[in-house]
Amino acid sequence: MTDSFRRAVGRKVVSRSSAGDVGAVSHFLVDAGNRRIAAIVVGRGKKARLIDWADVSGFGPDAVMVGDEAALRPPLDDRERAAADGKLDMVGKRALTERGSELGTVDDVTFDPGSGTVDALQIGDREVPAGSLLGSGPYAVVLAASEEPARSNDRSTPAE
Amino acid sequence: MTASQINGLPVVTVHGGEDVAEVRDVIYSPEAGRLVGLTLNKRGFFSGRRREVLPADAIHAVGRDAVMILDESSLTAPEDAPDDIGHPATDRNVIGNDVLTEGGRSLGVVRDLALLVGSRGEVVGYQIDKTGGGPGYIPLPAQLAVSGAALVVPDITEEFIRDDLVGLGAAVDDFRGRLGLA
Repeated sequence: MTDSFRRAVGRKVVSRSSAGDVGAVSHFLVDAGNRRIAAIVVGRGKKARLIDWADVSGFGPDAVMVGDEAALRPPLDDRERAAADGKLDMVGKRALTERGSELGTVDDVTFDPGSGTVDALQIGDREVPAGSLLGSGPYAVVLAASEEPARSNDRSTPAE
Repeated sequence: MTASQINGLPVVTVHGGEDVAEVRDVIYSPEAGRLVGLTLNKRGFFSGRRREVLPADAIHAVGRDAVMILDESSLTAPEDAPDDIGHPATDRNVIGNDVLTEGGRSLGVVRDLALLVGSRGEVVGYQIDKTGGGPGYIPLPAQLAVSGAALVVPDITEEFIRDDLVGLGAAVDDFRGRLGLA
């Protein structure tokens, strides 16, 4: 089973205890080092709230379930505030290799809705495994050098 | 790529994906034939000089689209950086220097530095305006004499003048092999 950031944005978030809508998914905060979703952001602007992945009881195709509204919390630090503002969204961000070459734009990110583990990044017509993800931030998503298109002889290609 | 293509590139952290600075200037040691480091500007609309510098050994990679560092701690206060970068000597610029062979032939005038893309800033040669006219690239031996007006290269350098950077890349290993440097 797999889901994607693009598909999941806009999905309603529902409290199990009240069966009421508490908002809609707006952004994802990814822990790039561990290749997993750290939190989802619900709502936008000043009203944006975070839900730690651990507090998501079910990430379903039609709704994201949480225990109750207590799962929603305000952003606590600069990184979380940036995530709440959408500045850390991986989708739409430039993808750089650790060698400083741009590969294109991240079009989508697929993940396992059961575990919150990131599976792959869609960059143009390429699917880059999450194992190559080194970092993610406000400027770029950074990938391992191995994702750079192969060249006949790297050492003898100082530039194009 | 050439050193002038590095100027203005964003400096991006591998782990944070953040553009923490941009390249202001490339500091190069002609005697050592290597990059000493980079001076920096701030990013953004009100960009001015950033006090910190980036020593060469803190560079993760110099790429076509960005200079990569591991994290912001790679940026160093000038007083903690090697002297060459904290207080770069302006008279040590090789740009404009005449390239002379040991035999006394002028190959041209240095226009720019040629670096390996994706390396940690390895300078592999110079872009020159050839004495006979037109641009060319010469590979760089490990060390050479530099006076501030001219630099002296081995005679065989003349055989390794190339028309483009790709050709230069292929010539470097060959050249260094001939010199017994590889």
